[in-house]
Amino acid sequence: MIEVLEAPPFATVQDAGFGSGRSWGLPPGGAMDPLFFSLANRLVGNPPNTPAIEWALGSGVLRLTRAARLAVVGLVRIQLNDVPLDPPALTFTARSGTRIAIEPDPLHRFCYLAVAGGILVPEVLGSHSTYLPGGFGGFEGRRLRAGDRLKLGKPLRKAEETITLTLHSGTADPPGDVTLRVTRGPQWDSFEPRVRESFFRGRYLLAPASDRMGYRLLGPGIQPRGKATLPSEAACPGAIQIPDGGQPIVLMPDGPTVGGYPKLAVVIQADLRLLAQCPAERGIRFREVSLEEARACYSPAR
Amino acid sequence: MRLPGSAVQPLGEAAWTVTLGDRVERATHERVLALAQRVAAEAIPGVQELIPAYAALTVCFDPLVADADALRLRLARLAAVASLPSESRTVGPSDRLVRIPVVYDGPDLDFVAERTSLTRSQVIDLHSGREYRVYLLGFAPGFAYLGDLDAGLVLPRRREPRPRVAAGSVGIAGAQTGVYPLATPGGWHLLGRTGLRCFDPARHPPALLQPGDRVRFEPVA
Repeated sequence: MIEVLEAPPFATVQDAGFGSGRSWGLPPGGAMDPLFFSLANRLVGNPPNTPAIEWALGSGVLRLTRAARLAVVGLVRIQLNDVPLDPPALTFTARSGTRIAIEPDPLHRFCYLAVAGGILVPEVLGSHSTYLPGGFGGFEGRRLRAGDRLKLGKPLRKAEETITLTLHSGTADPPGDVTLRVTRGPQWDSFEPRVRESFFRGRYLLAPASDRMGYRLLGPGIQPRGKATLPSEAACPGAIQIPDGGQPIVLMPDGPTVGGYPKLAVVIQADLRLLAQCPAERGIRFREVSLEEARACYSPAR
Repeated sequence: MRLPGSAVQPLGEAAWTVTLGDRVERATHERVLALAQRVAAEAIPGVQELIPAYAALTVCFDPLVADADALRLRLARLAAVASLPSESRTVGPSDRLVRIPVVYDGPDLDFVAERTSLTRSQVIDLHSGREYRVYLLGFAPGFAYLGDLDAGLVLPRRREPRPRVAAGSVGIAGAQTGVYPLATPGGWHLLGRTGLRCFDPARHPPALLQPGDRVRFEPVA
């Protein structure tokens, strides 16, 4: 069992998401950063799509009721029984009763805590992911709260059979702008070339009202020619919608499956995690790539 | 000017959207469903999901399995066939008629009556007096966009969306009506509620309604 002593502001159980359901309104969901999520699992010897805790926005404290091997991927400071991990490791074994305090660095919005054997939650619609807008999946369909007790599965490997990774003790590079690769969206032609140019020249920042459903961008306004809405049609994570106000919204894994706003472009699947992790003060830029290039970087989420 | 049926656009690297029109109309939607049936019948390797909407069909595929460019050409050809007037006749109205019992006691019934210069019972009669068609599912799991509403009931959505609309609420907005399957924020005018579950994760399929289904609302006390 893993017990939540002090809940972080935003933690949910996630896996790689729902394999199907978009035709009836269920978005793909799942980990905002699939790479960190699967890496955390691999580090403790789990299959890559094992339920883990997606942790965001602040610190929290957990306690184990049995010894377990853990991995935390993402920039964090970890204390075991109030003592900082030394050396600062991504993977560690904690004894029963250990208090594990995790304080994320704002450089990463989401970090992932995997436990050898995985978090045991019921499967809903083929996934263990928490889908907050629907209030189902994961652990009781909600964020973790103080007092929650999560069951753990049986580890597949012994601790000594897993890798130990230690953080480099240097300082991280000061973050420059992040450039996201995009392909042309279905309504690309609804935007004048000069409007598209201002989008690609522009530098955007994340608005505070950004969540697992969508990231709102602040920067050069974008207006389509003609009417601003179309009969609702399918959207997808990464789709850059241009609503009436002209400030783009990038749909994220829990975002709506359909929408009536024109989609100027779509962030390629391989780069969406870079946006998911983008700190508030970091500039965001876009660069057009071909569908061929996007497909060359594609990897299945599950 | 592109011919109708020839517009196949990418929605990211793993989906094509085939656009068959630019407005909400029954004939276009019938062609979308006809195209969806054809694509499904071809069982194309790598095609994972089909998302029919008002005037477009989106075909999701695994780029590691499907040949994306070949699929685009194939969809364009199928879309050209789906655009023939004869084709839409092959997909008639769905055999499925779903009756949804509604208690018409919604918090916006008086507002709607006032704005439409109707009485409460006239609003209820107009809303329950016709058969609707399921155009698409989205917004929330199992949320079905139903049309077309009687022209006398068409109102813009609420200026201030409610932060929480109870599951089972029956609402209207624009020329559409629908049932909130889950408690979600919502901007539609609420006329009533139903006890019928429109979405149940434990059921197969989880959504009660499917695109093309016919729906009637039946007033109950």
